[in-house]
Amino acid sequence: MTTAADDIGLTRPARSGRATGAGRALWAAVGPPAICVVLGAALWQVMAVALHSPLVPGVPEIGAEFARIASNGLLLPQIAATLERVALGFALAFALALGAGLAMGRSSLARRFLEPAVLIGLTVPGLVWALLCVIWFGVSLANPIVAVALSAAPAMALTVAQGVRAVDADLIEMAHVFRFSRAVKLRRLWLPALAPYLLSGARFGLSLSWKVIVLVEIFGMSSGVGYQLNSAFSSQNVAAVLAWTLSFGVVMAILEYGVLQSLERYFTRWRRESRV
Amino acid sequence: MSVALTLERIDKTFVRPESGAREAVLRNFNLRVAPGELVAVIGPSGSGKSTLLNLIAGLTLPDAGTIDVRRTDGATPRLSVVFQQPRLLDWLDVETNVQLAADAAGVPRDAVARALEDVGLTAYAKAFPSMLSGGQRQRVAVARAFVIEPDIVLFDEPFSALDEITARKLRLLTQELWQTRPRTGILVTHNTQEAAFLADRVVTLGSGATRVVSDIAIDVTRPRSAEDLRLFEIHRRLLAGLT
Repeated sequence: MTTAADDIGLTRPARSGRATGAGRALWAAVGPPAICVVLGAALWQVMAVALHSPLVPGVPEIGAEFARIASNGLLLPQIAATLERVALGFALAFALALGAGLAMGRSSLARRFLEPAVLIGLTVPGLVWALLCVIWFGVSLANPIVAVALSAAPAMALTVAQGVRAVDADLIEMAHVFRFSRAVKLRRLWLPALAPYLLSGARFGLSLSWKVIVLVEIFGMSSGVGYQLNSAFSSQNVAAVLAWTLSFGVVMAILEYGVLQSLERYFTRWRRESRV
Repeated sequence: MSVALTLERIDKTFVRPESGAREAVLRNFNLRVAPGELVAVIGPSGSGKSTLLNLIAGLTLPDAGTIDVRRTDGATPRLSVVFQQPRLLDWLDVETNVQLAADAAGVPRDAVARALEDVGLTAYAKAFPSMLSGGQRQRVAVARAFVIEPDIVLFDEPFSALDEITARKLRLLTQELWQTRPRTGILVTHNTQEAAFLADRVVTLGSGATRVVSDIAIDVTRPRSAEDLRLFEIHRRLLAGLT
């Protein structure tokens, strides 16, 4: 059937992937953070030289220590142990936060019921959760998982609840009129609409998770980056403390640039970017 | 399948959140739409036009009265709405937006391609809504409304957010779709020309507790031309009824 309105269209579907300026795009992506890191290292080195103290080792010493723990086979297993604990705890926190956040955003009764628990969870320091979980669970995998989940879930639940309340009511009505099933509503409406909030919550939750996992590993584990940090601290090896901290930073950077930003680009690929 | 729509003795009252005062929008309201008939409802703001559509669409419930939508074969009637704004899922491409409605209604998948062809958007099937013009987005909404082979179509000021040239073309498109596959429908609009051009009957609501001011049949066969002098005359009568 031909339509009488064939000439309405003023725009064509956008084409992606033009190869022009690929080098410039790469530089735009990598350049600024690289400059930031180099500048930070340079400032640290200036400070180390100025203070000339064994308590503030220079960049070469920290680099050498990092190379030593990487080459003697210590780095990767310890990071893997910590990552596993963070991943499991974060997954539990994410599931709890998604359920609680959806309920709080959709139902005022659920919001009133869960609000005290979330607010208390927000005010309890990660250190307290770490200590309590060490006491409750001892040296077991449950210890870091529960501590990370309890620390990260409240803030993430609040973010999800805010996101739920921000979802366009017009779209919810549209889905109702066209009789979308619950599963379709969740997969095609709620989760994509909440994606920016979920990613933002995930970033914040991950940062809290790293802080708590270190405490848990210091107090109650015999492996992991936190345990190694504690060992380095006990032997007054400041370069090792900084090298292990640097390893944390590298992992965070890989997660941020390799995972979170890729997910963000995927979930927001439909957005039209302003040209001004 | 032809479907009649009957609203009997409908009451609907809203509570103003700022003052707590109750405001009757519809009182003892009656309307019957015959199978295959497209009825336009016009009237001033606050006369209950959109409330009427929300009640029929099941987005709100009446305080009293009955809404009867009946298929002769006893099956649940399919209802679709063309909203004032397209209400598309921006993160899904055009095809998937239409596909979701088709899947929910159990319509075969090849209907989606036909629906997009009907509204002239085949080339844009994989485009995201943000890449389309306002008129194109509204055409996607029209495709979504018609892909499910609805028994009843509700139009809630469907072209009021568009410029007049685009709106005019979409009215022609709607007329073509209606002529090919007539449904039972209600068109809520502020535009008396649009009402006269598209509808079989125009009901004018008054302000306050809603009452029907006029009910004018439009006895002009389709396809209609916007320049048809008979439509101008009906338009003039509708305007006179509103003032």
